[in-house]
This record gives sequence, C-alpha cells and structure tokens, in this order.
Amino acid sequence: MAAEAARARLRRYRTRPWWPAAATLVIAELGLGAALLIPITFSDPNGVDPYLARLSVASVLIALPSLLVRRLEPARPILFALAAVAATYTLLSAGPQILFDLLGSRSGSFDAQVFWSSVAQALGTLLIALAARRTVAPAWRPSLRLAHAGAGGIAAGVIGSVVLIGLGLALPAGVLGRVALQPVALGRDFPFLGPANALQAFSQEVQFRGLLLGALERTMSPRWANAGQAAVFGLAHLAISYGGPEAPFVPITFLVGLAFGWLVRRTNSLWPAVIIHAVADIALQFGIVQGLYGF
Amino acid sequence: MGSDRSRRAAMLIVTAAVLATVFVTGSTPAAAAAAWWSPVALRGVAVTRVAAIGDTITVRTGAGQTLRSADGGRSFATAPAGAAFPPTGAVTIGTVSWGIDSAGRVVHARDAAQQSAPVPDPGSPNLGAGADLIAAPAALPGVVVAVSTSGTVWRRGQDGDWKQALLLLPASLVQGVPHVTSVAAFTTPLSDAIYLGTDGYAVLISTDGGDDWIRAGPGLSDSVYALSADSRRKTVYAGTSDGLWEHVLQELPAPPAYTDAALVWKWLGIGAVTLVASIAALLGMTRLVPRRLGG
Repeated sequence: MAAEAARARLRRYRTRPWWPAAATLVIAELGLGAALLIPITFSDPNGVDPYLARLSVASVLIALPSLLVRRLEPARPILFALAAVAATYTLLSAGPQILFDLLGSRSGSFDAQVFWSSVAQALGTLLIALAARRTVAPAWRPSLRLAHAGAGGIAAGVIGSVVLIGLGLALPAGVLGRVALQPVALGRDFPFLGPANALQAFSQEVQFRGLLLGALERTMSPRWANAGQAAVFGLAHLAISYGGPEAPFVPITFLVGLAFGWLVRRTNSLWPAVIIHAVADIALQFGIVQGLYGF
Repeated sequence: MGSDRSRRAAMLIVTAAVLATVFVTGSTPAAAAAAWWSPVALRGVAVTRVAAIGDTITVRTGAGQTLRSADGGRSFATAPAGAAFPPTGAVTIGTVSWGIDSAGRVVHARDAAQQSAPVPDPGSPNLGAGADLIAAPAALPGVVVAVSTSGTVWRRGQDGDWKQALLLLPASLVQGVPHVTSVAAFTTPLSDAIYLGTDGYAVLISTDGGDDWIRAGPGLSDSVYALSADSRRKTVYAGTSDGLWEHVLQELPAPPAYTDAALVWKWLGIGAVTLVASIAALLGMTRLVPRRLGG
C-alpha cells in the first residue's frame, strides 16, 4: 500500500515543472558524492589520491551526454554548472604545476602561477557558462546577472564585506585560525594572490549564483532554487579538502550560499556577491595562519 | 531485452569495482607521525619559565617555586638555592651574540669570545625599554627574531633588513590581543625553525626566517608562558598553564610518499568508482526525467 502510494506520488511529481531540475540536481550530486567519497575507503586523500581530477572527470562524464539526450535539455545548465565547479577548480589546483611543466622557470613565482591559474579558471567558467546559455532553449536559459551592477548593489557589496569582516573578528580566533597578520608575506604575496582570490571568487559566483541559481529558478520557486544552489555550494566545500577541515564548514557555507543567493536575487546582480566573496577570500588568504596540517 | 542487457552490464561494472576495492584495501597504510607536542611533567601546574640543557631542566611554577630535573623531566625536585635561569634578552650563536639593550635596541657583537663591544644593528627597530624576547636560529646565519613590548614580532633577514613579521590579532572582540611570552630557536644548526610562544595562541613556528608562520600547538594548552630549545636533546620545551611539554625535533607533517605497487590498484579502483558513479547518475537521470518536458 505504502509503496503504491509512493509510486503514485512519484508519478505526480514527475509532471511538475520543477521535477527535471530537482531530479537532475539530486542524482548528479549523489553521483559526484559517490565518486568523491567511496574511494576514501581505500585511498589517501592527502597523498596520492587525485580526487579533484576524478571529480572533474565524473562531472564532465555526467554533463556531456546532456548535449545528446534531448530530455536532459532542461538539466543541461545544471550539469554544466556542476562541471564548471569541479573542472575549473581542478584547473586552478593543477595550474601551477602545469605552468611549471610547460614553461619551467619562465612560469614565474608560485604566486604568479596561482594568478594565471585563476585567470584560466575564470575564463573556463565563462566559456562553460556561455556554452550552457547557447545550447539550451530560451525557456531553460539561465540568467547570469552579469550585465547589471547598480550603485545600490555595489553599496550592498561593500556593506556586506564590512559585516563579514566584523563577524570574522567577533568569532573566537581559534575557530578560524585568524590569529595574526604576516606583513612580510602580505607584501610579497598580495600583488598576485589578491587579484587571484578576486578572480576565484568571481568564478565561483558565476558557477553557483549565476549558472546554477539561474538554471534552477527557471523551473523552481525562488526559495527552492536558492536552497538548491546553496546546498551544492555547501557540499562543494567537502571536495576542497575532503577528510580534512572543510566538512564542519559545510553548514556554514550553506548559509553563506543562501545569503549570497538572496543578495543576488534582491539586487538582480551578481556583483554584490562577487565583491563580498572576493573580500572574504582575500581575508581568509591573508588573515588566517595555517596550522601544522594545513588547517 | 535492452533493459536486461544494461542491467547485466551495470552488474558487471559494479562487481569489477567491488573486486578492485577488495584488492586495494590491503595496501600498505601510511605510518602515523609522532605527536607534535607531548607532556613531560607537572600536569595541572602552571610553568612560567623553563631552561633546558641536556638532562637538566629547570622550571619555575606559577606559584614561584623553582624546580629542577636531572633526568630529562621524569622527576622534579626543589632546585638548589641559587639556581638561576639564563639571562633573557640575549642569544649567542657561535661567535656572534645578539641582544636587546636597556633602551630596546637590538645590538650585536661579532666576536663574543673576545668580548667585543656590542653595537646597534643598523635599521633595527626600537622594541621599547624592557623588551627581552630575542632568538636567532643557527641554521640561518644573520636571521634574528625579536619582539617589541607592544607585541609586534620583528625579523631580521639574512641581508640585514628588519621588517615586521607578525602582528597578533585579537582573540575575539572582548578578549584582546594575546601576549607574546617567549621566542626560541636552536643555537646549533639543527633546524631553521623559530618558535614563538603566546598566551592565547599556543605556539607559532616560522621555518623561513620569520616571513611565514604556521600554528604549531596541537595538543598544547593555548597558554604558553615559556619556551626553551635544547640542542643536545634536539627538543623544544614549553612551559604552559598545564605543565611542561616537549616537542622533539621532527619534519613538518607532509603527505606520505607511496612507492609500492598497490598504487596501481588504488588508481584502478578510483577510476572504476568514478566510472560507475557517473554511469549510475546518468542512468538515474534518464530514467527519472520524463520524456515530455514540463514547464
């Protein structure tokens, strides 16, 4: 009886406009989660396990067939968003080594390599976003909200940044590791890593609040769309250093994602979130003293 | 028919993945590293000063008692009358001595054995009258770290250039900035590390002459009152609010290097999981997303 009722409910849900996007998001996340987490049982995440590479491969393997299967068209921007998150993060992480292998000492300092990798991440993200927009019908096309940046939005970004830094200072230092500033390192690293962090923030905003939120809100209510992108944003932080320190921050990053999504919708612009995200990343880069084990 | 075939194919892939998993779980695990800090003695007692030379360790407790151990810290007894701690504000590396004069300027003498007169180090900061925290790692000739009375950590590079190296941040909005209580380095060329003790952020380490710092107090109380680096035992002792602790010189934690053949199986297993997860996600999507699009 219960099984029959569940099947009937499923049939009903499948006729709803939000179903393709919701089902795609959940199943793709489960697939990526399995690809990320199952190998923990037999590999060393901080040693030899190329977990970012396999996450990227999985995301691309899942996304590409959506170009061929017509019924997956509404899901395509979502799958492309997930592929953009994973593949361009791998590009960012592997970029310095790739540059060194290609150019040797001409690839510059490590900071310079990170900067150019961040440029590559941003360009890769924009290319994938463009592909997602160009290959779907207007009904499924996500709005990236990049064209509009009003004074109110910029002001919201600045105020939000100040609030975020205030919150960071209000929290106990040990929780975040923001115990000190390192002036020598700051002067040495900021010229490259400051812009690099801003580019990384831009890329992530395009991926989550541009592409993903834009795709989800085509078929879902704004609240569910925002919750969906925030959930993926939170879970994505599992992959940054999985098995490490990021897992406890998933709920926090979920809430941050919700706030960014709300702000983007409220201002109808991606830029306020880009500003706050960039300030947060730069503050994390230069205000956090790393621990012995990298966290 | 087609459905049966795809089910059989899926079963085959899953079986292969399980077999690969079984093969690789037996591979060599990484050896656990030694604890970074270990308790020595006097747990529950505040230790405000410590000096160690070989098996002889002298400490002063928060109650003002001076204790001495002649067996490397296994047992402590009241120190003989007249037992003194080495003078603060001075360090000798080979024939060169560094110190802080009564006005708070860093001075150095090129030939300590000949008792040459100490001269102010050009470009050195005014640390404030009463400043007495200074250290110089023998492994990095010319490098000196000194702490001002306001708590700013300065470093002298090997080129003689003095720069602000570390500015501690408030522990929270209500707690204020923790005090720097001690600084230590090995006076024989054992290690590049400079250890900074704080009453709030435990111990911070720099291994590049004070440019970059990491938090290195796992296991240790946040309140560290004194540090002493003993070259004979290759050990750093920390006097804390919870007794005397030691750190035996060791490499910074790093991912283990695997060289065994199990790596191949690990990668095969990882690849199989990635493939299975991606295919399962795709199959799930194509089954659950309706042929006729809603919305």
